[in-house]
Amino acid sequence: MKNKSLLKRDFNYQPHIYYPNYKSSILRAPHKDKITFPSTISEVSGPVFSKDIIGQNDNNLILNFSKNNKSPIGHKILVYGTVKDQFLKPVKGALIEIWQANASGKYMHPNDKTPTAIDPNFAGCGRYITETNGSYEFFTIQPGPYPYPNRGIEWRPMHIHFSIFGESFGQRLITQMYFEGDPLIKLCPMVNSIPDDKIRKSLISKLDVSRAVSHNILAYKFDIILRGINQTYFENRKEGL
Amino acid sequence: MDLIKNIHKETPFQTAGPFLHIGCLPNFIGIPGIYKNDIGVDPFPEKKNKDFIKISGSIFDGNEEAVDDVLLETWQCDEDGNYFGLNGFARFVPDKVTKKFSLSTIKPGSVKSFDGKLYSPHISLLISSRGLNMSLNTRIYFDDDDLTNDPLISFIINNNNNDISSLVAKKIDKNDYLFNVFLQGDKETIFFDL
Ligand SMILES: [Fe+2]
Repeated sequence: MKNKSLLKRDFNYQPHIYYPNYKSSILRAPHKDKITFPSTISEVSGPVFSKDIIGQNDNNLILNFSKNNKSPIGHKILVYGTVKDQFLKPVKGALIEIWQANASGKYMHPNDKTPTAIDPNFAGCGRYITETNGSYEFFTIQPGPYPYPNRGIEWRPMHIHFSIFGESFGQRLITQMYFEGDPLIKLCPMVNSIPDDKIRKSLISKLDVSRAVSHNILAYKFDIILRGINQTYFENRKEGL
Repeated sequence: MDLIKNIHKETPFQTAGPFLHIGCLPNFIGIPGIYKNDIGVDPFPEKKNKDFIKISGSIFDGNEEAVDDVLLETWQCDEDGNYFGLNGFARFVPDKVTKKFSLSTIKPGSVKSFDGKLYSPHISLLISSRGLNMSLNTRIYFDDDDLTNDPLISFIINNNNNDISSLVAKKIDKNDYLFNVFLQGDKETIFFDL
C-alpha cells in the first residue's frame, strides 16, 4: 500500500499573517496558533483539472480580450518558468491562474477606483495547465505599478497574481510575482511581511534576454515550488515484527 | 540527514488581494468570453440536486462584520468516501448584498485515510482574500454526525483543549446547515496546518 503525506509547511519562510504595516491584515488575520496535524487523504488528494478546459488563448493575455485584433497598450512580455515540488520533482497538470493590472496599473474590476484608464483590449486574466516537465508560459503586457490606500497612499510594485493547484489540495498556493529591478519592491509591506530576505527574492522574476521571443517581447522567468509529497510503501505486517 | 538538504523551500504566499475574481471567477465578475466557464461552479455536475445539502453562512472579520471580498474553495469526497477527478471541488464568494455564501453539494461520507483511520464526514475549506497574507485552511464537520472517533477532532480535544464548535456546521433544517467563520476575536475559528 502507498502512504502519502505532505511535508510540513515551514512558517519561518512564509509571510506573517498579522502584519500591521499592511493595514488590511489587522482585522482579518487570526490571532490563535494554527493546529498542526499530519496531512490526511483530504489534503493529499486534490481536484484534477483536464486540459479540455483550456481555450486557445487562455495563456495569451495580449490576445484573449482584444477587440478587432487591436493590441492592448503597453509592452509585451513573456512570463515563463516551471512548477516543481520541494524535492524538485516537476508538477505536471498543475492549474496556474493569473490576474494583473493593465499597463497603467488599473484592474478590470468594478471595485478598482484608481483614477487611471481601463484598456478595452486587456482584461488581465489567464490560465495554463503545466506540461510533463512542469513548465508553463504566459504572453502578457507589463503591468503598471499602482497606488492604494494603506498607511496613507502607498504604491504596489509591478506584479502578477498567481494561483496554483498542484496535485494535492494541501499544495494550494496563492502568491504574487514581482519584476527584477523594481525599486518599489523593497518598500512594499506585503513583500516585507515575509521575514526571510532570500525567500522574499524568490518572488522576483528574472529578466531573461536569451528567451526573448523576438525583438519586441521581453521574457521574465519565475519558478514556483510547491510543498513536497512524501511517498512510502509499506506492507501490512503482523504487530511485533 | 543529507535528504533534508535536498528539500527546497516552498514559494511563499502573498495575499490574493481585492481583485482575485478577475483570475478566479472572471465570468462572475463581468469578464465574459475568455473562459467558457468559471471553474468550481458545481461540485458534482453528474449528481441530482434533490440529493444535495445546502451549507450557508458568513465570514466575519475582527469587527464581526461579514465580508464579501473573500474567495472560498471547498474540496470533499463523495457520499462513499471517495475523492476523484474534479468532483468535489467548488469555488464561490459571499453575496454582495446579504454577505452570505451558499454551497449546494452532496453530504460527504466518512473517509478512510492512508493510515486506515476513519474520519467523520467533512469538507476542506480554504479562504483567501485581501488582508490575508496566507490563505486559511479549516474543515466543515456536521453536527448530526458522531465526531468522537474522528482522529483530528480527538487530537484537538485531547491536546489543545479547544472548543471544536467552530468546525461544526449546525443543522437548521432538513438539508440545510449553517457554518459561520470568525477570522478573529472570542469566536475565532480553528484554522489548520495539515
Ligand atoms: Fe494586485
